[in-house]
Amino acid sequence: MTPYGSDLAGGPLRRLYHRWSLKLFLSELLAKRWMEPAIPFALMLGLIAWFAAVTPNYATLANAHQLGREFAEAGFVAVAMGLVVISGGIDLSVGAVFALANLVALALFQIAGLPVPLVALGALAAGAAVGAANGLLVGYLKTRPFLTTLVTLIILRAVVDLLGQKYSVQLASGSHQSAAWDFLGGGALFGVPANVVVLIAVALVGHVLLSRLRPGWHLTAIGSSRKAARHAGIRVERVLFTTYVLSGLLAATGGLFYAARLASTGSDTGIGWEINALTAVVLGGVSLAGGRGTVARALIGAVIVFVLINGLVRMGFPGALTSTALGAVLLLAVGIDVKWAKNRAKTIQKIYVNPTVVELPPAPSIARDSGTAYAENDRLRESEAIGLDQVEGPEDVILDRENRLYCGTREGWILRFSGERFEEREVFARIGGRPLGLAFDRNANLIVCVGGMGLYGVRPSGAVYKLSDETNRSWTRLNDDSRLRLADDLDIAPDGKIYFSEATIRYEMHSWHVDGLEGRGNGRLICHDPATGKTRTLVKDVVFPNGVCVAHDGQSVLFASTWLCTIFRYWIAGPKLGQVDTFADNLPGYPDNINRASDGGYWLALVGIRSPTFDLAMRHPAFRLRMIKQIPPDEWIYPGINNGCIVKLDGSGRARESMWDPGGSKHSTVTSMREHRGWLYIGGLENNRIGRVRLANADPEWTGPSSYWGEG
Amino acid sequence: MNDTENLMQAAPIRNAILGSAIAALAACGGGTTPDTSASASPPTTASAASRELNGGNSSADLHSKAESALKGKTIAWVPLQLGLPLTDIWTRVMRDEAEARGMKFVVRDPNANTTAGLQAVSSLIGEKPDVIVVHNPNVQVYAKELKRAEDAGIAVIQVNMVSNYKTAAYVGADWYEVGRLLGEAVVKDCGTGSGQSGKVAIVQGELTSGTSIDQMQGLAAVLDKDKAIKVVSNQAANWDANKAHDITATVLQQNPDLCASVGFWSVMEAGAAQALKSAGKLGQVKTYASGGEGKVDCNNVDNGLITKLLSYDAPAQARAIIQLASFILQTGQKPEAFRAANYSTLHWMEKGKYDPALCYDWTK
Repeated sequence: MTPYGSDLAGGPLRRLYHRWSLKLFLSELLAKRWMEPAIPFALMLGLIAWFAAVTPNYATLANAHQLGREFAEAGFVAVAMGLVVISGGIDLSVGAVFALANLVALALFQIAGLPVPLVALGALAAGAAVGAANGLLVGYLKTRPFLTTLVTLIILRAVVDLLGQKYSVQLASGSHQSAAWDFLGGGALFGVPANVVVLIAVALVGHVLLSRLRPGWHLTAIGSSRKAARHAGIRVERVLFTTYVLSGLLAATGGLFYAARLASTGSDTGIGWEINALTAVVLGGVSLAGGRGTVARALIGAVIVFVLINGLVRMGFPGALTSTALGAVLLLAVGIDVKWAKNRAKTIQKIYVNPTVVELPPAPSIARDSGTAYAENDRLRESEAIGLDQVEGPEDVILDRENRLYCGTREGWILRFSGERFEEREVFARIGGRPLGLAFDRNANLIVCVGGMGLYGVRPSGAVYKLSDETNRSWTRLNDDSRLRLADDLDIAPDGKIYFSEATIRYEMHSWHVDGLEGRGNGRLICHDPATGKTRTLVKDVVFPNGVCVAHDGQSVLFASTWLCTIFRYWIAGPKLGQVDTFADNLPGYPDNINRASDGGYWLALVGIRSPTFDLAMRHPAFRLRMIKQIPPDEWIYPGINNGCIVKLDGSGRARESMWDPGGSKHSTVTSMREHRGWLYIGGLENNRIGRVRLANADPEWTGPSSYWGEG
Repeated sequence: MNDTENLMQAAPIRNAILGSAIAALAACGGGTTPDTSASASPPTTASAASRELNGGNSSADLHSKAESALKGKTIAWVPLQLGLPLTDIWTRVMRDEAEARGMKFVVRDPNANTTAGLQAVSSLIGEKPDVIVVHNPNVQVYAKELKRAEDAGIAVIQVNMVSNYKTAAYVGADWYEVGRLLGEAVVKDCGTGSGQSGKVAIVQGELTSGTSIDQMQGLAAVLDKDKAIKVVSNQAANWDANKAHDITATVLQQNPDLCASVGFWSVMEAGAAQALKSAGKLGQVKTYASGGEGKVDCNNVDNGLITKLLSYDAPAQARAIIQLASFILQTGQKPEAFRAANYSTLHWMEKGKYDPALCYDWTK
């Protein structure tokens, strides 16, 4: 078998198989947040279907109505418990609060004879008060939620018992009547029981709160990590306090409806409900560790518990067995919760990387005596260092009309070097993220691609402003790809439109090299128009688009596809408008940034050099998959991105010459270079300096800004 | 209202007739009821009740009428919880009796969980059995559902613990009477002229259970009349023997000269008696309770845990339920046409003095 022959079994079919991977779909599906409760949701539907099949008259409207009415109260308690568990705590007092609210409501209605709104207010206030006590203790005094609410439960139970001893017989024979009270207990809106209507409203509000609003996000953040939330400036105490108050309020709402429906003051009211609620919440996929869960999940779990108990009772199961079954389900749910939390990310990770076929022809030789334009030499070794050890990872460098040198750094800053020998270093702007590609617009604003953030601008004054952090979503993809994850490099057309690349939408800044193992078209070329503020994707599914450069004539945009070792050209004007063709291919290395040269050609940085081994690996996705699964990451074969060179292309894309630093003593990874007044300035993603070399045949007056925007 | 005490000894089974014409029940004892009242009201179901019989019909006619009214009918039973002597013997006897009549007997056991019990009743209404037999946890919780059941044409028979909503029939002890008789026994042993402290502790069951409410009223009516009686504690142990034990232990510390402990259920009162035993006061403090727990009650009386126990015949109650159900089904009347009570005969049990027939063994 020859490494480069077209000997792949299956040929096009195999390529198609690797291109449209089911696993890719699965991994993205699994990563969706709404997939987390997939198992409980299926279980819920299955249980309902099963009971509908084995129980007579189950699947009827009347039965659904009745079940709904009975479920709603437990639903409120489950949501109450769910909120607290998401916040990283637990509220064992929900059942007791439920019982208290029930008793208070009945007492206010039957004994005090208050009107229904006041009764409701009183019952809810009682619940909120208990919640406030819990919240003060857990939030402000930082007591342990488990013990705190256990004590609240015991105290509250005793209070309910004492009040019960005193009033329950009187309440049991009470005969106060009210239409509003009957409506709460037995009324319906459009055929839906009143308590279910309120539960649905609570669920909707709760869902929006948790998933879309700041307080809900704060709550979830605290559940994930209280300490981190505090460091992020979240008012942990206040949020926790509010959460427990909400919990009390919700449990009390359940109690109020229970009171109106049954008027029962039985001593076992609400007993064990905290366990049912906890079972429900965990079963629904709300993590006991906090920080993960939604209202919908708590309710899904509550439905499962309710349907299970209800169904078993209906089927005439012995009562003790029903309780045992519930216990077993709780045990199972906790087990799955632990396993799922531990393994889901691992599973996703295992199937997330989906290598595909990349077939490259044999690379041109880089041997010193090969006579090609790529022949290795020592020209970069003579480079002068700028800002040595004063700069970390200047991925891109750029110079302004005043000969000042700018670069982005790992810290998320833009540094500016000025002076005769660039000896003055200042932090020009602090953007955050990982500043990558740079370009000046017509008004001398520095436009920056920031990895992890999007497209930003820095005014000459140093003020930072956001241009765009999202593009149009592609609806065929499961993942929401509207956010910019890894904006990489940009350039600006004469009309002011900004063309930029997003290298990959499947990986982050810290794992971008894994995208190379995948070799899939995960990136895109995007255009942002500052005039309209609109951003839209021009070319999708590009394999790691990296450097972007508007051609000298302003008719097209060149963009490098790193893993394909190819430079494409996207036409933004002229007869080929909107088309993509190849500008240069079969490069000996992985292309990074492209920039204009003074002679009408282009400078191209090769971030690494191809090797026959890796090229071979890229032809065999199954091999790479096995490697990823079976050996630790530090033993994987990666694309060689630790030593590269600079290549000079002419205006038609042909390589003319190259500059090397063998061994990488000064410039190991070269990711960028800019020509400026007869010098070439060199940046590197991992470098500790900016280098510059004198260009022999270059126009000593040529600068980037004047090439783009004329003499200003 | 207390003219009942004379009736107490008069009839083996005392029937209080509250509703329509069910005088025939007074003689009930056999498998099926006579045909007396079938013609009194128009039939409401498409069953054999539609066949009008007169005195001259043959035995075969009577048999076929009874059979067609009962065969294949469903009786559903929702106890408080199975696993107790009382509920187990009820279940067994009811099942035997129902099946002997060709009826289907189904059980829904909520295991002392009120919510589950409520769901059981609710779902039964959807399944439309012909008769539902319920053991109400308290007077309120099933009330609305029982009304709904009757509205759906299902006859509901309540056993031993009545609801605020009175259905076709109640079978069980007359709890006011039980309370009153217990009270009289207490007054006799601890009241004026007894030379005792007169201190009485009451251990109620579930406070809002029909049993507790009525028993308390009967008891209070008697105890209040004797100035020597002082109720030093009146608490609810919610049918829990452990709780009764704890309550009594505390009461005993505060009142070492306690004279009597009255419990609303024999099994629960046995817990209270254990507290007395631990304190070495068993015998000195007398214990009174009501119950129908067969062998357990007999043992508790024999070993002195319960001084005086007012018992009712649980298997007989179960038979009465099925007889009432059979009667209702054969008359074919609407459930709400009935409001009947079948109060159980009460028997005193004391050490060495009781009818061994009360010591049923529910495990056999």
